[in-house]
Amino acid sequence: MTIRITIDIFSGRPNPSVELDDRESANVLDRLMPERRLAENEPGLPAEPTLGYRGLVVEQIGERREELPELFRVVDGDVFGRGLAHRARDERVGDYLIGADSPLRRANVDQTVMERLPEEAERFRDIRRAWPIEFPPIPFWPRCCRCGPIYEPGWWNVPSRQPFNNCYNYATNYRTDTFAQPGRAAGAMYTSLSCGSVGPAAVADDLIDTPDADNACPTVGDLVAMVIWPDADFHWYRKGRNGWWSHKRGGTPVTNVDNSGNYISDPRYANRGPYIDFCTFHGCHAWTHQDQLTGWLRR
Amino acid sequence: MDTSRSADWLAKALVFSGRPDPAWAVPGSVAEELLRLWSELPSSTDRQPSPPALGYRGCLLEAPDGRTWESFGGQVTLKDGQTTESRGDPGRSFERQLLATAPANTLPPFFSN
Repeated sequence: MTIRITIDIFSGRPNPSVELDDRESANVLDRLMPERRLAENEPGLPAEPTLGYRGLVVEQIGERREELPELFRVVDGDVFGRGLAHRARDERVGDYLIGADSPLRRANVDQTVMERLPEEAERFRDIRRAWPIEFPPIPFWPRCCRCGPIYEPGWWNVPSRQPFNNCYNYATNYRTDTFAQPGRAAGAMYTSLSCGSVGPAAVADDLIDTPDADNACPTVGDLVAMVIWPDADFHWYRKGRNGWWSHKRGGTPVTNVDNSGNYISDPRYANRGPYIDFCTFHGCHAWTHQDQLTGWLRR
Repeated sequence: MDTSRSADWLAKALVFSGRPDPAWAVPGSVAEELLRLWSELPSSTDRQPSPPALGYRGCLLEAPDGRTWESFGGQVTLKDGQTTESRGDPGRSFERQLLATAPANTLPPFFSN
């Protein structure tokens, strides 16, 4: 059982990290064992990353201590991770790990960084105490889409489906395992990668051109949206039942964020990378994905 | 390592969403050169950089035996079954050399590597 400790401090440079041997790892993990859950009035973590020292990130490599997640953060005497916001058994473990007797000192970590750590830790302590632990307000909640599909990335993100289905499959909620192409099954495949060519191809597939949808859900079926990387590719989004949009980029996993990492309330205004042309909204029949392996798109 | 079966070495640019990603064959001699380059890169324990949601996400070299070398954001990662090994490539020389093997008009317009 070994652990890797990363000093989370830099912004531009890679953070320094060291791997401890079995004995040191066991000692440190003993100190880090969760003792009690933090109370609501005790400092947590800032809701947004701050510049400078932000704690130590501990990774358990190989066999792990079950009481602690595979990856977690240590700040002062507190440990944070999945299901974890606890005071550690050794309340001074943070000081120990950045102090003179720390195994980090024996590792090949920039000594100027090590010397600054106590001061940096104090600064971060002040930030934690003063931070208004509030999530930023959500400016609005998009209107729900009664007939929209549920956001269930887990169904798509499995080896038997993920690589063989693309954005068009996902947006239309129609698994074909053929990397579906607009119009191919209808014998009217697009001839160029432009709104004017891919749009009619999708309509030939039975999608409903709804240029005036203005991000509002149709009364029947789902709402999808088509964008174009001019002369290179097309991409599709779908609006979910909760009103937010999601998408699947090629054979990669389904996601609900844009290129800036933001949730998508309207794909017209999302960061779409090179897919600079927003074409239009389309209505889409409310298929369910489970039973579509023999349908019209499968070609 | 036998790299003589040139037609079996494949490259792919991970870039599209709707269309299949562009793929092309890599000559065995070029693959051998890329593997030599990879073997000289320093080991890296950094996390793999996250590609953007849409757009270019790196490129990939696939060997006849199924091993892959995926390059993005200054890292090249070898995947061999369940095992992975990453090497740092801050100058992105592996990535650039691999993409340079793409035949004309294979990569999309405005493609900058």
